[in-house]
Amino acid sequence: MSDLKKHTIIISPIGNPDTNLLNRVRRAIYNIFGYPTEIIPILDEVDFALDPGRNQYHSTPILDELVRNIPYRAAKVLAIAKVDLFIPILTHVYGEAQLGGKACIISTYRLKESLSPLNSHEVYPCRVIKEAIHELGHTFNLRHCRDRSCIMHYCRTVKDVDRKRNQLCRYCSVLLEDELKRLKNKSRNV
Amino acid sequence: MSSTKILIVDDELIMRESLAGWLERDGHYVEKAPSAEKALKKLEDIRFDILLVDIKMEGMSGLELLKQVKENDPDVEVIMITAYGSISTAIEAIKNGAYDYLLKPFDPDELGMLIEKIILHQAQALENLFLKTQYDDRTRFENMVGQSRAMQEIFDLIQDIAPTESTVLINGETGTGKGLAAKAIHTNSPRRDGPFVVINCGAFPEHLLESELFGHQKGAFTDAIATKKGRLELAHGGTLFLDEIGEISMRMQIDLLRLLEDHVFYRVGGTQPIEADFRVIAATNKNLEEAIKQRTFREDIYYRLNVISFTMPRLRDRKEDIPLLSGLFLRHFSQETNKRVDKISREAIDEMMLYEWPGNVRELANAIERAVVVGKSRSIQPEDLPIFHPENIKAAPDDSIKNVERIHIARILNENRWNISRSSEILNIDRSTLYSKIKRYKINKPA
Repeated sequence: MSDLKKHTIIISPIGNPDTNLLNRVRRAIYNIFGYPTEIIPILDEVDFALDPGRNQYHSTPILDELVRNIPYRAAKVLAIAKVDLFIPILTHVYGEAQLGGKACIISTYRLKESLSPLNSHEVYPCRVIKEAIHELGHTFNLRHCRDRSCIMHYCRTVKDVDRKRNQLCRYCSVLLEDELKRLKNKSRNV
Repeated sequence: MSSTKILIVDDELIMRESLAGWLERDGHYVEKAPSAEKALKKLEDIRFDILLVDIKMEGMSGLELLKQVKENDPDVEVIMITAYGSISTAIEAIKNGAYDYLLKPFDPDELGMLIEKIILHQAQALENLFLKTQYDDRTRFENMVGQSRAMQEIFDLIQDIAPTESTVLINGETGTGKGLAAKAIHTNSPRRDGPFVVINCGAFPEHLLESELFGHQKGAFTDAIATKKGRLELAHGGTLFLDEIGEISMRMQIDLLRLLEDHVFYRVGGTQPIEADFRVIAATNKNLEEAIKQRTFREDIYYRLNVISFTMPRLRDRKEDIPLLSGLFLRHFSQETNKRVDKISREAIDEMMLYEWPGNVRELANAIERAVVVGKSRSIQPEDLPIFHPENIKAAPDDSIKNVERIHIARILNENRWNISRSSEILNIDRSTLYSKIKRYKINKPA
């Protein structure tokens, strides 16, 4: 069955979820990708990915585990973790995604950096939404974009995250449309 | 236009995989090699822009690989990856030509910035080389010539379409005169007093092409120290000629689509829409319908460009023009070289009529130029023409593979009048590889 027949995007919180935040992420996903969403905790814990030496969690095996447990009806799965993520060659990552694949994950751990008490209630959820859309964008085959205001722009710091909009630029919108069309045609041909 | 090609060389699978995934999401083309030996094998087939090399590996070390890579192609940039304990080796690597080194595990920012810096540096070097090699071609041969029926039809067509505002797509093999046809359309149009702005889409890496076409705002990217107008703005009131349109990236095609629809664009990093009034003429030697099937060219942009289209005839399909064209080239080159050569012998004409001219009119011009230079009489003889001397650049006593390659590349370039696209097609390598080999082998364009 193709990705469009599998018509749901699963949001899978790892650890205690913040329901308000998850609902905001759901709305943003629907607005950008047009897919309905469900909130289902697929993994109870991610200790299997812990590297004791680094005291961080390796994101790639978490993605593999998500794919192994993804419900049949789901087109994609986005995990939201509170722990600090890494891939072996890098010191840390904000998130990881399977390019054109099914699973992605974001970490909220470093998104809390440089927050002021005055604006944290608004800035922090915006950062989470932007990173969630960004990583999901990769699963729809979108690569990093040079447009600094585009949500697919690769951010070096949380300040960069704050600066970008929570929308795709016109290039990435067209590329996403193309990908959605491709998935639709693929589904027709199955 | 292809993305940056990066080769990761590391004997640890997990390092290769995690780095490759990260770089692919960043839009790069990535290959992996588990050893220096395997990396060298890959380098025989593909020309990479950047190598990320682990210093400590089983078998050949990263340092040794660096030396070999730099010896073969000094333009490839190598970033060394090292563990904390081996910084002294990393410093030695820099002395041996490595661009920089990163300590494992490294901050993603550091890697991203390093790669961005290298890409910009390489793109600027490539552009300089392109401008140098294209200058002569652009200043030569103002007029189209031909008495053949095929060319008469083209002249009639140009007369008909020039006064319109329609977008034109010119197809044809390299060297058939697509650029001259575009210029002729412009000079016969009501826009003749406006600028005729040419951009060779195949000659620029994607982000440079974007900046060339659309211009950029100050601060749009690291080196954008001042706001710069793009060629679209410069074409206001005139004609924009997009040569080698088949070479533009999918991303640029999206921009171009919008441009063709409403003639509105944004400078890179700009938020103000800019309107410009120009007519678009595009040219390609590629089969765009085939490219659409292979999903490398957008169908919607093809139909936007293909409002009026025609194909420039190949020289072998209008051989009756060869005597006229050779006569014109003879006059041009005898004046230019100040050499009294005023006739082409019947035997030389006969031989030229038998030849297939894969490089078309440009190859013919090249052949006559050479004949004028090397000929010993006032009349060009068959033996003066390079088409009878394919072996004219012979291998020197140094018959190493590198020397044979150098000679072969020089011959193909000369035969194709240093047309980089055509030469790279014949050599079956991409243009950036060819530019890099020209530089590496110090092959000079004949004066």
